[in-house]
Amino acid sequence: MKLSIQNLTKTYANGVKAIDNLSLEIGTGMFGLLGPNGAGKSSLMRTIATLQRPDTGSLTFGDIDILNDQTELRKCLGYLPQSFGVYPKMSAEYLLHYLATLKGVKSKTDRKKLVDETLNITNLFDVRKKDVSGYSGGMKQRFGIAQLLLNNPKLIIVDEPTAGLDPAERSRFLNVIREIGTKSTVIFSTHIVDDVKELCTDMAILNGGQILKHAIPQDCLKEFDGKVWSGTIDPEKLEATESTHNVLSSHYNQDNQLNIRVYSQTEPVGNFNRAVPDLEDVYFYTLKEDEAVLA
Amino acid sequence: MFYSIFKQELSYWFTKPLFYIYCIIFLIAALLVASISAGIFDEVSAAVDSTKIVNSPSAITGMFNSLSTLIIFLYPTIFGMSVYRDFNCEMHKILYSYPFTKANYLSAKFLSALLIVSIIVLFIGIGLAVGFVLPGTNDQLTIPFDLIAYAHVYVVYTLPNALLYGSIVFAVVLFSRNLTAGFVTVIVLSLIQGLTDVLLQDPENRILAAYLDPLGYSATQYYAQYWTVAERNELHLPFTGLILYNRVLWLSIAALISWAVYRSFYFGQQALSFSFRKKSSKRALKSNYGNITQVKLPKVAYDFSFLQNLKVMWRLSNMDLKFIIKSRPFILLSAFGLIMIIVEHSQANVVRGTGMLPVTWKMMRYSEAFQFAMIVCTFLYAGLLIQRAKMTQMLHLVDTTPVQNWMLIGSRFLAVIKMQLVMLLSVMISGIIFQISKGYYDFEVSLYLMGLFGTNLWQFVIWTFLAFFIQTLIRNAYVGTFVLITLFMAFATPLLAMVGIEQAVFVYGRGPGTWYSDMNGFGESLSAFYAYIIYWILAGMLLLIGANLLMDRGVPPSVRERLSMIKSRFQGRIKVAFLITLCGFLSMGFRIYYEDNVANPRASSKEKEAYQAEWELKYGHHMGAIQPRITAVNTYLNIFPETLDFKAGGTYQLVNKSAVAIDTIFLKYTNYYSSFEFDQSTETISEDTIFRFNRYLLTESLLPGDSIKLSFKVWNKPNTFLSEHSPVLSNGTFLNKHKLFPSIGYPGGGLEDDEVRKEFGLPALVPSPIPSDTAALGNHTLSKDADWVDFETTVSTSLDQTAIAPGYLQKEWVENGRRYFHYKMDSKILNLYSFNSAKYEIKKDHWNDVSLEIYYHKGHEYNLDRMMDGMKAALAYCSKYFSPYQHKQARIIEFPKTFGNFAQAYPNTIPFSEGRGFIADVDDSEDGGVDYAFDVTVHEMAHQWWAHQVIGADVAGAGVLAEGLADYVRLQVLKQHYGADKMRKYLKYATDKYLRDRGNDRKGENPVIHEDNQPYIRYSKASVVLYALSDYIGEETMNAALSSYVEQVKFQEAPYTTSLELVKFLRAASPDSLQYTITDMFETITLYDNKMIHATSKKLANGQYQVELEFQVSKYRSDEEGNRSYGDQMDGTGQNIRSLALADYLDIGIFGEQTKNGVTKEIALYLQKHKVTSIDNKLTIMLGEKPVSVGVDPYNKLIDTESKDNSMKVKEIMR
Repeated sequence: MKLSIQNLTKTYANGVKAIDNLSLEIGTGMFGLLGPNGAGKSSLMRTIATLQRPDTGSLTFGDIDILNDQTELRKCLGYLPQSFGVYPKMSAEYLLHYLATLKGVKSKTDRKKLVDETLNITNLFDVRKKDVSGYSGGMKQRFGIAQLLLNNPKLIIVDEPTAGLDPAERSRFLNVIREIGTKSTVIFSTHIVDDVKELCTDMAILNGGQILKHAIPQDCLKEFDGKVWSGTIDPEKLEATESTHNVLSSHYNQDNQLNIRVYSQTEPVGNFNRAVPDLEDVYFYTLKEDEAVLA
Repeated sequence: MFYSIFKQELSYWFTKPLFYIYCIIFLIAALLVASISAGIFDEVSAAVDSTKIVNSPSAITGMFNSLSTLIIFLYPTIFGMSVYRDFNCEMHKILYSYPFTKANYLSAKFLSALLIVSIIVLFIGIGLAVGFVLPGTNDQLTIPFDLIAYAHVYVVYTLPNALLYGSIVFAVVLFSRNLTAGFVTVIVLSLIQGLTDVLLQDPENRILAAYLDPLGYSATQYYAQYWTVAERNELHLPFTGLILYNRVLWLSIAALISWAVYRSFYFGQQALSFSFRKKSSKRALKSNYGNITQVKLPKVAYDFSFLQNLKVMWRLSNMDLKFIIKSRPFILLSAFGLIMIIVEHSQANVVRGTGMLPVTWKMMRYSEAFQFAMIVCTFLYAGLLIQRAKMTQMLHLVDTTPVQNWMLIGSRFLAVIKMQLVMLLSVMISGIIFQISKGYYDFEVSLYLMGLFGTNLWQFVIWTFLAFFIQTLIRNAYVGTFVLITLFMAFATPLLAMVGIEQAVFVYGRGPGTWYSDMNGFGESLSAFYAYIIYWILAGMLLLIGANLLMDRGVPPSVRERLSMIKSRFQGRIKVAFLITLCGFLSMGFRIYYEDNVANPRASSKEKEAYQAEWELKYGHHMGAIQPRITAVNTYLNIFPETLDFKAGGTYQLVNKSAVAIDTIFLKYTNYYSSFEFDQSTETISEDTIFRFNRYLLTESLLPGDSIKLSFKVWNKPNTFLSEHSPVLSNGTFLNKHKLFPSIGYPGGGLEDDEVRKEFGLPALVPSPIPSDTAALGNHTLSKDADWVDFETTVSTSLDQTAIAPGYLQKEWVENGRRYFHYKMDSKILNLYSFNSAKYEIKKDHWNDVSLEIYYHKGHEYNLDRMMDGMKAALAYCSKYFSPYQHKQARIIEFPKTFGNFAQAYPNTIPFSEGRGFIADVDDSEDGGVDYAFDVTVHEMAHQWWAHQVIGADVAGAGVLAEGLADYVRLQVLKQHYGADKMRKYLKYATDKYLRDRGNDRKGENPVIHEDNQPYIRYSKASVVLYALSDYIGEETMNAALSSYVEQVKFQEAPYTTSLELVKFLRAASPDSLQYTITDMFETITLYDNKMIHATSKKLANGQYQVELEFQVSKYRSDEEGNRSYGDQMDGTGQNIRSLALADYLDIGIFGEQTKNGVTKEIALYLQKHKVTSIDNKLTIMLGEKPVSVGVDPYNKLIDTESKDNSMKVKEIMR
């Protein structure tokens, strides 16, 4: 099913325009929503997840008019917020039963089957009797996935789920997401480019409440092929280089020199080598382009 | 560092709206309390009583005290919040690693919160001070602003209490990191305070109460309890003795808590937690490197049908209930609530030291404290359930599920209702346990269920609706709870009535209550009760729909968004449901309004004042008009218990006993339908159905000695489901003639407050004529239209009931399926009679040739023997000492407590409330209280002499002749039964009542002979002084005097006797040396201030004990406002003691101990009256036995405001 966003705008009471006349279409598969902190990712996802109303615009998912029939959407929605808490002193099993009830699972045996299976999928079965409020960050995030699965969702929204996870947790988490993302529409917001690289079939870069780029990752990389260059410079020369080159990123290396990557249609002046384009290059390039427009 | 935290805290509060909301709430509350008490709404509501200064220092303290419950609920949100804030936003993780000391941190937090609380409560003072002088207030009720009075309250009570409660709440929240815990703490503290209040009601325990009350007001009360009106209006409250000790005690506790907090606090990341289970500690290992799993969810059925949604709502409510029941606030509050109930069960309904059997209707009642705990739980959990997802940040998980809003609200609402059911169930279980513990096994489970769930529950349900609305609107569970408590308390006070909102239909949740009696069950109270409940539930459903519209789902919207959200939600089914409910609510409201205003015209209290004034203005000139007097009464009363109707009527034989011809007759009749007919031709001058007063012109004047017969019929308006127009009950009807039948002449009555009278142009109220006014002796106190009458009546009732009226049963028969009883009296009686009808059991006995009967409700057999003994004892005492009993029969008839908890003496008939003596739980042991089943019977039986033989003229002092002497008989009979040395116990209650009530008398106190309808004088003081006099002149001498008095005045016609005549007989019987007692006790208000100063004993060589005593005696007169005077005073040597001149006799008693069967008892070794002529006295007395304690007037026969210092322990001096 297709999620379609038309001319969405949301301005908060403090005057911040979090979503600015945004239109976007998202089909089945993993969709990566990339953007820096404060870009409006969470606002957009909360709006899709029926947690807040936009000022203007329309939202549909398949036949469902999300703004006017929130309940219909909620029936097929799986949402994992950026951060969440749970009722204290309650076990994962109890809470999942509770949420399964809220999600309309009718019979007790069904609930039990479903809850046990989600606990297995998220590898929480052994700790199902433990209070979720005492879980570690990774376990809690897995609990988030478990609850999300309870209604066999068609639209899954996960908001920066990998932030703060250790490498093993992150990898495991991404695997589960990939697994469930094959049949549903999954919107996955992150500011970690690697997540998108590893997972997504479609992506968009968001900043200042607007979509800056909407493309398939492979296409992006093809587009950038031959236009990204890397080199090493003295840190003191960074500013000078930035004024003459479109510097996408810079990293210190062990020698206290800077490895930098620049964008250029032709071979840039200086000691640069052609580099294999990376999604990160696309990301930084897009953000920079936008900044230039604003400036 | 201290300063910067402190400043930061203050600026936090000053930017929070909550701070200003609190200031405004307290300002408005204080403004209202002050201006209303100062009469600002006199224009729209009834006027305020005009003799008390409303802003006197003690009144101001009282107002602060009454607001203290509200004040203590500030503490969790301010003291608690100041620390909780750091945990809640996890600031503590950063803050606690900063380089400040814990002393800095804690003191800055605590002191800033204290300052904020102080500022908020300062607004109470400002509100009061301004409220008293607002334009429109009555300046006669106030005195000029008195800074010291306000400063006193703040310095002595409000601020120290903030310090105490604040430090406790601060400590609790600091260590539990839980704001709810702070909230629960204050509730528990206020319950404890309520508990001590209950436990310490007995006068003996008041000193203990003065120490234990954490708020300190009981200590003040200890000193002010016997203050007179004058003292209350003028004096500043003391700050000495117990008050000082109380404050020092509790402030030390506050200091101790603060110190403990300081010592045990450390900047840690984890909250302190307690667990009874021992936790095993294990090394935590992570094992999350599992394989990639195949996600294959099992196929399950999802159902979103309406029926399924209802089931889900039910399931969710059970889960919410589980949360409530497992949470600490609930456990704590219910536990304390139950403790309160148990304590109150053992204390409640104690009359003169004797309690009541644990009958079920008493067990199913719970105190206001428990009710408060329940209502606070309701408010708190409504808020916590609504805000729980947000507070734990689980909000977004819950809100994105397809559950409907109404299911969430509905489930939480149901959970709160179920919580109430659980709490009420615990009342029932604790009641049954209490009954078992008392060996009472008559468990009426169905009554418990009906009382708790059928009736009491609904009030909570109705408030639950409002709680859900307010909590949804306010979005902060604690602030919401505070607002709801404020509303609840404001609705419970007469505040609304005072601003002119008097009808229940306009006050959310209000309505008629239910009443229960063993005899009549819930009777007729239920239909109107349920009508109002339905009405308010409809209102509540509107509120719940409102909550549904307002409910947050997802990110909290701004105000603008909220409004548009409401608009978009208010459609479809919700709109239809709302409109249908609104129609139901309005039509029900209209029906009630119609019933109370149109079908049965209603007068507001303001209108009632005008009405009373008009009555006097229109007819007052008929006061004292000469009227024929009733000489014979023949009535009938048909009682229909099935339909609650009655039809009555009868005839009065009226005789012109005056020396002039009478041409007009005035009839005052009751509020029932009535019709009248004279047997001679008359012309109606006026027929006034508003004032129920008709005037008739006789065609031929009634000449002296001539008679005329009045026939009348009285019947009731048909009853409706909302109003009862008849006093008939289905079982246990009790009526007297005043309630039913007309009277002759202008009966008087009208406005009593002189201020209000002035407003309507009426002269100040004339007090009852004094007894020396011989022109006023034409009527006796019990009826203005008759002297002694012949009496005859026929009463009918349903087949299964017995109907009783004064007189002897002439005939009993059945006709048309109804029972008829014909009663006739063989001698003339006062024009005073009653009717009873119920399903009765009868107990019979006799005393000499007088037959004795008790008509009682089946199951109430407990104290019948005691009541029989009471009748016999009174008959024996009174006929031995005064005169023979005038009837051949005496009957006690039980009536439902619906009519009150009293007993009343009619000729040969004593209606006796089921709640008075029938279920008294008498303890016959040494420490037991007064056997009131016995002594009330004695009192009422004595009325057959003191009222039904000797009746006083309708002037001041008449109460002594009836109530004073009946109660004197009671005391004498008690002495006979229990011995003179037990009398202290019985006198204590009467003296205490007298001393307390004289301070609240707005009429001003009178001496006994001028007592003017003042119960604390006619019952309490009169009986005490009559008993004391008999102790001085001897019981036999006293009773001989009374006997000759009875002989002289019994069954007399006008002019009737007065208190002066009684005193003349008493004076004649007293020796010269004791004439002063008559003056002191009866003719003036005289009090003593007696005190034992020093007592030692020395064992002499011959085995004798030499007891040296030193004591002070002081006597003073009091004027009607309580100002003391000492006449040509004597000065004492000691401190500043003054006294009237003394030549008085006082008991000096010396007491030893005697151990019998292991029980140590006090015995009197020496009891003699000593003549005392000076303030300071010394005595030496030789005794054969070892003295333990001594006393001056040790039995408290004389009236002394400080009776405890009359006795003291003897210090033994070794040789």
